[in-house]
Amino acid sequence: MALRNAASFLGQRLVGAAELGISAAKSGAGEALTNAFVTDGVRHASNQAVKQRIRAIKNIGKITKAMKMVAASKMKNAQVAVEQSRGIVNPFVRLFGDHPGVEGKAGVTVAVTSDRGLCGGLNSNITKYTRALLKLDTATAGEAASTKLVSIGDKGRSQLMRAEGRLFSYAIADTYKVRVTFAQASLIAEELLKNNPEVVKVMFNKFRSAISFKPTLATVLTPETLEKQLTEPTGNRLDAYEIEATHERSDVMRDLAEFQLAATLYNAMLENNCSEHASRMSAMENSTKSAGEMLGKLTLEYNRKRQATITTELIEIIAGASALMDA
Amino acid sequence: MSLQISILTPERPFWNGQADEIILPTETGEMGVLKNHAPIITGLDVGAMLIRGGQATGSKDEWNSYAIMGGFALVKQNQVTILANEAVSAENINPEEAKEAFEIAKVNLEKAEGVKEKVEANFAYKRAKARYQVVKVLKKI
Repeated sequence: MALRNAASFLGQRLVGAAELGISAAKSGAGEALTNAFVTDGVRHASNQAVKQRIRAIKNIGKITKAMKMVAASKMKNAQVAVEQSRGIVNPFVRLFGDHPGVEGKAGVTVAVTSDRGLCGGLNSNITKYTRALLKLDTATAGEAASTKLVSIGDKGRSQLMRAEGRLFSYAIADTYKVRVTFAQASLIAEELLKNNPEVVKVMFNKFRSAISFKPTLATVLTPETLEKQLTEPTGNRLDAYEIEATHERSDVMRDLAEFQLAATLYNAMLENNCSEHASRMSAMENSTKSAGEMLGKLTLEYNRKRQATITTELIEIIAGASALMDA
Repeated sequence: MSLQISILTPERPFWNGQADEIILPTETGEMGVLKNHAPIITGLDVGAMLIRGGQATGSKDEWNSYAIMGGFALVKQNQVTILANEAVSAENINPEEAKEAFEIAKVNLEKAEGVKEKVEANFAYKRAKARYQVVKVLKKI
């Protein structure tokens, strides 16, 4: 008799505790969660499904963390090369000047992008600026303008082909598989100058620091335009030099302009490469953080569900036991 | 101490310093630049560049040599800017290797047939010759 009373008393206390528990959870942050259990009509995941999701997110977190570390180390290597390659671009700029406002009827615009994705908003940024530049060109030079669009990197190709398909000329891919060399840049420069464009504009991400990369435009004039610029009364420093060569001055100028284009391209590709790694590093860092947060929330839900199941089972057992006692 | 020289390659700024005299391997032959030279732009062939005096070497009369694989040179107001495709310092070249490479390149040049092979062999020959010359200069002077 005393046992029976004790059992039913215990059962009541447990039921009361369970109710307390559920109401506490309700009033806490997990209100939505418990509502999901308690009010039905909502299809909620079974605990098994939640467990699988937890495992999947944990794996993703590990992968993004590894990618971040790889990107960080690659960026460190690339940074050294970038800073050293900047040295040669300056004398050219000092000599020839940088004329972003040059209007040319037949120019070539080069968009330097990455080959692989998961690097943040880098490539879409370049695409955005390149499209704006092209609009500006057609606005100033009129319909006669025939700017050719070239993209270095697969991501640029897919985005620009969709956006500006008719202007798109060709794409150069797989440049970053092995380290970028000056020979590669020279080859690309030669290819770009094949049809005698008037001006070559290169759009790339300049690596300012590990968190800052700005889309930059480098303008390189081809020999013919250069001559035109020099003979104008703006008085260019180039006239101060005497050119000594076996061939004519125009040959030397053409070689010099090609060299400038190759050096600028080399620098642009290196800078973009370094920016890509830095951007990927920060994107993966954010991804890992989000994965961690999601993991926390899911683990909480899983545990709550587990504890609720246990409590429910206990209540059933006690209720069953007390019913037996009463009978 | 009168010329300010900077040698730049696409990969990195190769060398910055001062010197008294510099001899450039231009396409028209060797050209010497002293203080107060007239402003000039010239193309450089694959060859040896010699620098005398200043920070390049200890004393005023010693020559230091570098192999330049083509490029350009800008001279203005005692400032010499060399833009080279590639530059190698004499100290970084192994003499025996350079000599061997030179001999092999010479043989290959004579054996080469067909335009493409000839052009490649010629280029390799000029490069090997420049490196060998640079090492020879260092040992002789």
